[in-house]
This record gives sequence, structure tokens and C-alpha cells, in this order.
Amino acid sequence: MASPSSATVEPAGPNPSTKPTQPESAAPRLSGAELKKQKQAEKAARRAQTIQEKQAGVPPAAQKVKSDTTTGAKTQQKRPSSAAAPRDLPVRSQRPAAAATPEAPKKEDKTVELFRHLYKPRVTSIAGAGKDVHPAVLALGLQMSSYTICGSCARLVATLQAFKKVIESYATPPGNTLTRHLTSHVLSPQIEYLAACRPLSISMGNAIRWLKLEISKVDIDVPDAEAKKGLCDAIDVFIRERVTFADQVIASSAVEKIKDGDVILTYAKSSVIQRTLMTAHQEGRKFRVIVVDSRPLHEGKHLAAALVGIGIEVKYCLINGLSHNIQDATKVLLGAHAMMSNGRLFSRIGTALVAMEANEADKPVLVLCETIKFTERVALDSIVHNEIAPADELVIPGGPLEKWGDVKKLQLCNLMYDVTPAEYIQMIVTESGNVPPTSVPVLHRLGNESQG
Amino acid sequence: MPSVQAGYAPNLGVFLKALKTQQLEASIEHLISLLKRRQIRNSRPCAIATAHLLLRVVARFKWTDIGKLLQRIQEVGQRLVEAQPKEMVVGNIVRRVLGMIRDEAKEDRSEDMSDTASITQIDSPQRETSDPAPLRTIGVSTATASPLRFGASNAPGSTDTDSDDGSARTPQGGHRPPLMTSHTSYAVLNGLPVQQSMFNLLSATPSPLSTPPQQIDSPQAGSGINAASVAQRVAASSKDLKAEVISGIEEIIDELDQVDDQMAGYAQEHIHSNEVILTHSSSTSVQKFLLKAAEKRKFTVIVAESYPNDHQATHAAVTGSVAPDLGSSEDTSLEMFLKPLTAAGITVVLTTDAAIFAIMSRVNKVILATHAVIANGGLIAAAGARIIAKAAKVHKIPVIVVSGVYKLSPEYPFEFESLIEYGDPGRIVKYHDGNLVDNLEIDNPLYDYVPPDLVDLYITNLGAHAPSYLYRIVADHYKPEDINFHKPELQF
Repeated sequence: MASPSSATVEPAGPNPSTKPTQPESAAPRLSGAELKKQKQAEKAARRAQTIQEKQAGVPPAAQKVKSDTTTGAKTQQKRPSSAAAPRDLPVRSQRPAAAATPEAPKKEDKTVELFRHLYKPRVTSIAGAGKDVHPAVLALGLQMSSYTICGSCARLVATLQAFKKVIESYATPPGNTLTRHLTSHVLSPQIEYLAACRPLSISMGNAIRWLKLEISKVDIDVPDAEAKKGLCDAIDVFIRERVTFADQVIASSAVEKIKDGDVILTYAKSSVIQRTLMTAHQEGRKFRVIVVDSRPLHEGKHLAAALVGIGIEVKYCLINGLSHNIQDATKVLLGAHAMMSNGRLFSRIGTALVAMEANEADKPVLVLCETIKFTERVALDSIVHNEIAPADELVIPGGPLEKWGDVKKLQLCNLMYDVTPAEYIQMIVTESGNVPPTSVPVLHRLGNESQG
Repeated sequence: MPSVQAGYAPNLGVFLKALKTQQLEASIEHLISLLKRRQIRNSRPCAIATAHLLLRVVARFKWTDIGKLLQRIQEVGQRLVEAQPKEMVVGNIVRRVLGMIRDEAKEDRSEDMSDTASITQIDSPQRETSDPAPLRTIGVSTATASPLRFGASNAPGSTDTDSDDGSARTPQGGHRPPLMTSHTSYAVLNGLPVQQSMFNLLSATPSPLSTPPQQIDSPQAGSGINAASVAQRVAASSKDLKAEVISGIEEIIDELDQVDDQMAGYAQEHIHSNEVILTHSSSTSVQKFLLKAAEKRKFTVIVAESYPNDHQATHAAVTGSVAPDLGSSEDTSLEMFLKPLTAAGITVVLTTDAAIFAIMSRVNKVILATHAVIANGGLIAAAGARIIAKAAKVHKIPVIVVSGVYKLSPEYPFEFESLIEYGDPGRIVKYHDGNLVDNLEIDNPLYDYVPPDLVDLYITNLGAHAPSYLYRIVADHYKPEDINFHKPELQF
């Protein structure tokens, strides 16, 4: 007890004695630090001055304001860039900016913080489109943003068809070569416009990359007409091989998985799944289908209508009825937007829930996916990479949500996709065979090698 | 019997108003029809309506003895439960009232024990069976006369359903031997009384009121003594007892009013600042809970809209407006006084049910409202609650259920699907979509069963409990003999 107390006293003793010395010893140190700061401040001030002098030709009033308000070097450094934008009378322009701030957060308010990096204004009219954009692409862009053309494969095919038209109507300007000019000057604006209408799907990205590669491979000496024909043919072959035939192969191999008496549960709508189920029905398999669907797109309703139309027994429910119906199912078939390299499935929002419930109920989950949808990207959650649809799509006409914009602090979140963990997926049916999710990167590499 | 005007009454408010003026029997029929037509729905309005009705049943009841009163309440409760078996709170409230009466009577009896001993010898003219068979006599009489221990026999109760008020109101049923005979024969046919009498005989022997042997061969039979003593005692203390029972029911009604605030009192223990909380559909309890927490803390609430059935109420709750078609119902008129969460400074994110898995990885807690809680710790909640709870489990996120004790039901069905109610498929596919309506099977469950292993915590007005502890709370609130009051075939 004594030693610690003495120990505590001892430092206390010297402390007062050092106290008077501290300022002395600290003074030079502090002054050293201060010196540094001073130097920095001077440097910054000088820099700011030189910038101001450069701008001095423009507004003398701006200088006054700046010199008046200079408090720290950092703010000074930043200010020139912000003040550089308004050319005339920045004094006034600052005030409107201050007045605009209450409006600005109001707008920001409506984006969900978690997903703020995903928000992109969506083009819904051709008003702002550049003059370079081809009419076929203009139309396609609108169809995509209104979900008239929806689904990874449909968008891919439509894009390539539109690009074919672009290439057909393209004429190499004199003094240029098709190889160098087409991609950068003609194709890029089209792609930009499409991406502004709705973010490009992963399959579209894959196809565009392929198309660019294809264009770059065109020999400079080949005449225009021949080169264009060659490209269009290549696009046709690509669509046929990677989508049309791929779908056929997938459907025929997936049909073998459907046995008499099966109850197939599926979510939303996938063209391959529709094809598979229809083929199975035509081949005389006796099975039932449960279509699970969700708001706001209600894509499953189209699938249900198509299946009912050819006489398949269909049960339809929304995602809240999922846990009641999963017990009845014997297999779960899911479509894909993309397959991630870490084996995760990137698909319509809600797919992960279906896979989770199926996994819990011990039902096999089969993903039907063309290899064109494989990507080398990886995803751990549904937040980093996703697509946010306009929040107003969630508003039901005449419902209480109509004026949600007026309610402060209320935000609507309309996600498009989610990521299903690989462990929920038993098998991926592709045109190159049936593989487990771990084999996605392998197949992707093989596909690329054959392509390259 | 039900008045014609009753048909116009669409909701709880109107029912409560009408209750004051209507005949009792008309009120019962009124509530039954409201329940059947789903014009009163959801736990709280059903509970309030039931409690108020029972209050009136007790107030109007002409006292003969406790057994009769219990019988009467069981009979009314049975009809209400049959009208809407999926609203489990109705049964819960009836059980609470029955248990409360039993408790009051027990207290009363222990006080009066010495008095009754002397009174036993006094004449016992009321209630007799003309049936001479001693076993049967004892069976019926004990069943009806010693309800304090084992609940009135259900057999007379079930026949009473028809004869109803008249018989129940006639004081001193002894004047109606033929009726009693019919009871006995009915009961004997069912094969129930023998069992019951055996059971009651055994347990009745140690009772302080047990019949002295010499009385058994008296024409009034052993029953008379118990019945007489009870009746006498009731006559002596009926005023107090009635007042006590009524105040007991009023306490239950008060509890129903305060339950949300009591639960909200625990809110700040469970929500810390800057949390992201996911909840589902609209619930006054959860809203009050979150509002209470918002008094001290800032956090984000993500609301899943529960689309086809409850989305309008959810949307109305988050925007703070009143849904047009729900505007008249009691639930929203209560909510009208609640400010929306956004007004309390909470950021509210409304999202679709499908986005739950995507968003769950950033959620800190899931708070669910419930429709009913069953004894094993599982709950019946709005459809979609199960996938939310499951997704939370997958992400290892705690699930908290906010529920008043009145929603806690002692029922434990073997087939959970029997608790699920199915709603209007027109909410999913509109009826004008002819081709689909004709050919498509459409499934619209209103409720989900969430197993107890998906729930981490229950917050009731009594505090926070683990799901595995709920059975104790059930045992505290309901008497075992009341658990199956609505199903005579399961009793004992």
C-alpha cells in the first residue's frame, strides 16, 4: 500500500516542479510546431494569393470577400475552386447557393443512405439525347426504361439488334478507318444513352465488350460494305450461339430434371424457365407450377398467364405467401441476371428469399443461366453493386403514398436485384453443362478463352 | 334475435355504442355477426369488443351461483369463438374472465368457509334432478355445482346454447326438473359424465364442502348440499362478488388500453442510437414502441410494406395519413392520434417485401408485430413475417416480437396451418383479369406461423422474455380448466 501511494506521490511531487519548466521546455517545442503551422499557413496563403492574382483579372470584389473571410488556410485553398465557377459577382452567387442549401438536402433526403452510391437519374424521354444516337437505339432506350423490354437476355438481344442497325447505317467518314472510328465515335454515344436509360445489364456489358473486340479485329484494308456485313453476320452468329441455341440446350437439359408429379416453384419471370416449362409440358410431363411474384414489376404474372394459356396447372402467390407454398414444391427453378465469379447468383430482388426458404425446406434449387451472363465480378452483398429503380414506381395510384415526397424523412427504396449466397444453389444449368456454383469462374474463363 | 340496425354497424366503435342500448342477446348476436363478417378484425378490437360484451353479460346476469355464471360465460365465449376461431384473442379474453371469476370465487369461498359449513344444513330446494340413478346424479350435480374446482360441465353448457338466456336467467333452476333431465341424458349419451364424475368425486372428497355421508340418500341428493351452499353463499355475498367480477373485467379492459404504453416503456432498453431497425406491416404497438425510443434516440426504421393485404395501412402509417378504405375502422382511428415515425425525427425507409434479404445485412434488429402468440413461443403474424424472421436468422440478426400479454394464447395446435387465415385473392389478381381468374389458383395467406426458434425475444407488457419462457406466462394467466372451454370434447 505504501509503495504505490509513494509512487503516486512521487510523480505528483515532481509535477509541480516540472510545471514551471514545462512551459519553458515546451515553448520552443510548441513554437516549433507553431512555426510549421505558420509556415504552412503562409504557404497556403501565398498559394491562394497567387490563385487570386490569376483570377484578379475577373472579379475584384471576389478578392475582398475572400480576404475578409480567410480564417484557415484550408478553406482558402478550397474556395478558389468553388469561386472559380461563377464568373461574375461571386458575392451574389454565394448567397443563392446558401439559399439553395435548404432545397438541396430535401432532394438528397429521398435517397436511401445505404444505397446512395447507386442512384442515377434515369432518362425517360428522348429530349436530352445526343444527336449521334441512332433512332433504333433511342426507341430501345425508352423501351428499356419503361420495362417494355425487360430481362437480361431480352435486353441483350435487343441491344445487339439495334447496334446492327447502327452499323448498317454507318459510313466511315473520309480520312478514318472503320476500326478506329466506329467504336469510339459512333458506338460509345449509343452505349452511353442506353446506360442512361437503364444501367447496362452484365450480359449486355459482356456482349458490348465482345462487339468492340470484334470491331477492332476488322482489317483496315477491308472495304466498308464488306466489313459491315462481316460485323452484322458476327452479331447474328453471336445471338444465335450465345442466346438462342444456349436457351434451347438449357431448356432441353432442364426438362430432364422435371419428372412426372413434380411441383416446380419459380420466382418472377425468366425466359429460359418459361421455355423449359413449356417444353416439358409439350413432352407430356405431368407437373404443377407455383409462381411466386412480387411488387412492383409483377413479372411472374406474365409467366403464369403464359403457362396457364397452354394448360399447365399454375398456382400464383406473392412473396409473402412463399413459406406456405415452399412445402408443396419439389424443385425450385430460378432465372438469373448474372452469375458472379464467387458462385453467387445476382437476380431479381426476392430471389434470395426464395432460395433461402427452399434451402430450409430441403428443396433443390436449380439456376438456369446462359454463360453470357457469367461475369468475373464478385459480390458479397446486394448493396455494393445493384440497381436502384425510381422510387415512384412503388407508389400505388390513389394510395396514401402518392404524396410521399412531402413527408420529411420518408424514403422509398426500390431495389432491382439481390445476391443469393452460393450455398443455397445446388446446380447451375448452362449450355456448357450442369455445374455447381463453385465452377462459375472456371466456365467463365473457358468461355473467354474460346472467345479470345 | 339480432336487431336489424345491427347490420349497419361496421366496426368496433359502433358496436360499443350499440352495446349500451341493445338487448344483451342482440349484442351477442351483433358481435358474432361482426366477427363473422370480419368487420371487427385484428387482435385489439376483437379483444376490446369481447371484454366489453362479457362485462355486460356479467352485469345483466341474475345471480344464482358461480357455476351458472361460469357456464353462461363459457357458453357466450363458445359462440364467439365459433364465430371466428382464427381471432384467438377472443378466446383469450374469455379465458381471462373465467379465470378471474374462479379466483374471486376461491377467495370468497375461503373467507366464507366457516359460514357455509353452518348453512349447509339449511334447506336446499333449488336445482334437482329427477333422475334417481345416484352415480348420474352425483355426476351432473357435482359437475354443475362444484365449478369452483373444475369448471362447469360442458354438456349442460352446450345444450344451454339453445335454450340460452331464458334458462340461465330463471333463478334457482330447481323449478325446472325436465330441463335438467334432458341435460343429464344428453350428458350421459356423450359418455362424459361418468368420466367427469369419477374425476370430480376423487378431487371433491378433500374439499371442505364435501357432502356428509348421511345426506347422500336424501331426495335432494349429494348435489343439493354443494349447490345449496354455493347458492346461499352467493346470495349472501353476490353483491360483492358481482362487483368484484365486474371490476376485474374492467381491469382487463384497462389493460387492453394501456398495454401499448407499457410495452413502449421498455423501448429505450432495446434500441440504441443510430440503429437500423426493420419492421413489417403496420402495428400500433410497434409504432408506439419506436416512437418511445425516438424520444431519446435517433435511428433508422426500414418498413416492409406487406403488400397485398396490409400495404395500405402501412403506407398510411409511414406517411401519417389515414388510408381511405380503413378510415372508418377503429384501428386507424386509434392510429390517427399517433404521429408518424418521421415526425419524431426517425428516418423511415419504405421498401418492398422482396427486398428484405438484400437489406438485411445492414439491419441491426428486427421488430415484429404479431397477431397472436401461442404457448410454445411461436407466433402468428402478418404473412411475410416468417421469411423476415428467417432472413434475420440467416444473417444472425436478433428478432424481437412486441406483443401484449392478451395476445398470448394457451392453444397449441398440432397443425399450424389450421391457424392460418386466407384472404381475398382479388387483392393479388384483380377480378377483371378474367382469363387469369378462371384458370389460375391464387393463394393469399393473411398470416404466417413463425416458429419459436426464429424469435430471440418477446417484449410484453410484463417485460422481456425468452420464447421458451412464454409457457409460464400462459400458466399464470389462464386456468388449466379453461384452456379448452370452447371445445367440450377436449375438456379433461
